Amino acid sequence: MTLLRAESLTKRFVSRGPLGARAEFTAVDQVSFEVQLGETLAVVGESGSGKSTTARMIAKLMDPTAGTLEFDGEDVTHAKGAALARFRANVQVVFQDPFSSLNPRHTVERILMAPLVYQGIAPKGSRREHAKELMERVGLNPDHSLRYPAQFSGGQAQRIGIARALAVNPKLVICDEAVSALDVSVQAQVIELLRRLQRESGFSYVFIAHDLAVVRQIAHRVAVMSKGRIVEIGPARQVFDDPQDEYTRTLLAAIPRIDPEWDRRRRERS
Amino acid sequence: MSELLVVQDLTVTFPTTRGPVDVVRGVSFAVGRDETVGIVGESGSGKSMTSLAIMGLLPKGATTRGSIRLNGTELLGRPDRELRRLRGDQMSMIFQDPLSSLNPYYTVGLQIEEMYRAHRGGTRKAAREVAIRALGHVGLPEPERRVDYYPHQFSGGQRQRVMIAMALVCEPALLIADEPTTALDVTVQAQILRLLAGLQRESGTGLVFITHDLAVISSIATRVLVMRRGEQVEYGTAEQIFAEPEHEYTRMLLESIPRIDDSLDDPPHGSLIGSPDDEVIL
Repeated sequence: MTLLRAESLTKRFVSRGPLGARAEFTAVDQVSFEVQLGETLAVVGESGSGKSTTARMIAKLMDPTAGTLEFDGEDVTHAKGAALARFRANVQVVFQDPFSSLNPRHTVERILMAPLVYQGIAPKGSRREHAKELMERVGLNPDHSLRYPAQFSGGQAQRIGIARALAVNPKLVICDEAVSALDVSVQAQVIELLRRLQRESGFSYVFIAHDLAVVRQIAHRVAVMSKGRIVEIGPARQVFDDPQDEYTRTLLAAIPRIDPEWDRRRRERS
Repeated sequence: MSELLVVQDLTVTFPTTRGPVDVVRGVSFAVGRDETVGIVGESGSGKSMTSLAIMGLLPKGATTRGSIRLNGTELLGRPDRELRRLRGDQMSMIFQDPLSSLNPYYTVGLQIEEMYRAHRGGTRKAAREVAIRALGHVGLPEPERRVDYYPHQFSGGQRQRVMIAMALVCEPALLIADEPTTALDVTVQAQILRLLAGLQRESGTGLVFITHDLAVISSIATRVLVMRRGEQVEYGTAEQIFAEPEHEYTRMLLESIPRIDDSLDDPPHGSLIGSPDDEVIL
């Protein structure tokens, strides 16, 4: 089932120079893709490729200059009011830096209860319980529900961000560089968590990332962006093992790798 | 291989309200002339503090014990005046973010000239020639023109090239690179790694390469030091560390790296890893 359909999404930014000269920049240029329910579509690219602008448009945090966005069979390109609220109840975002996306003056409990209140989900008396359940689902100790974000490590704080996204039971979670700022051992844990949550609940991810090795761990399909356009899109295996586009090949070749011979010897020893 | 830099039992201590804290504890390693040594670790491992201790750039209040010898000369305990003479001349450092290491108000040429003349003297005209040559040497096209550019006129990768040019202009014996490619796109990272390796081969500079990225280290270093929470976990040749790691933590780190060759169907990573509550909060 097609959950999200982006059709020729385009974003142009206009700036004015010191003398009033108009300069136009096309950040995203006629980008089209679909996301099926339960799958992970990764959007990868280098800085300036337009991947984050694309993420912001499909999260409805930014309006496209042209093109259409459909969610669950409904045109949401210009959704406002009740239609937008319905969209937000189904689409959530996890950002790169948990500390700047969590209110430092609110306890975890309050952070996790907020979406329940806005969306009128759990009834009043059960919200506290619900917040604790969410903490358990993402591997946090529910006894810490009265702590503040600063009392958690980076990986734990990102788990809070993920729990908040899950609070409304969304159909789509957009992860914008959600594991990029984490240490490698913590990153592996959070990727595993994201995969487990999807297995359990069957929602979709749009996973925005610059790190192709990370993407390989989580994506079913991959879209490679460069200079505002999708240069290649397909099943992860195909894009990684048999890339068709020249830019994709360059990108893959540039990834530093550990000598496979060393890897093999290490695995044999352990 | 004669050792250029020998660090022995280095301990760095910071005073805190809860008493002194060792951010580096008993670290020992050596860097040969013409060699690249990698220091890897996660946040809070003490890798950057180790490099700042070598450069004599630790924040005020930090105290050091142990020994750091460059070309046989002890660096610890030397007055700042002497260290300042060594920095930029005998040893240089480049950082993750070149934009914050360059002065936005001066052209890059002027900044390289200043650095060169501080150590070598000479006329401004001669120094300008040196700067142009240095910029060309790190692969910037049209160095005669770019010498008059301001930092903001360069891309991220080009700025890192400028930093490398500046760091190497006095042909130091030792270059410390602290996460020099971390902020760069992967294709640009590959170019900068190639550039550093090439320049190092050519000039015989000893290179200390600090990173959190094990794959990057494996492609550039001959010896590797693994650090965790201020301590030395393991130290050996790259081959030993990557093919025959002795320590559980090194094995865990290597297991955690996402591999481009592994796919979704492969067994999940992190099976060796504990719960999120094991993470330290600093």
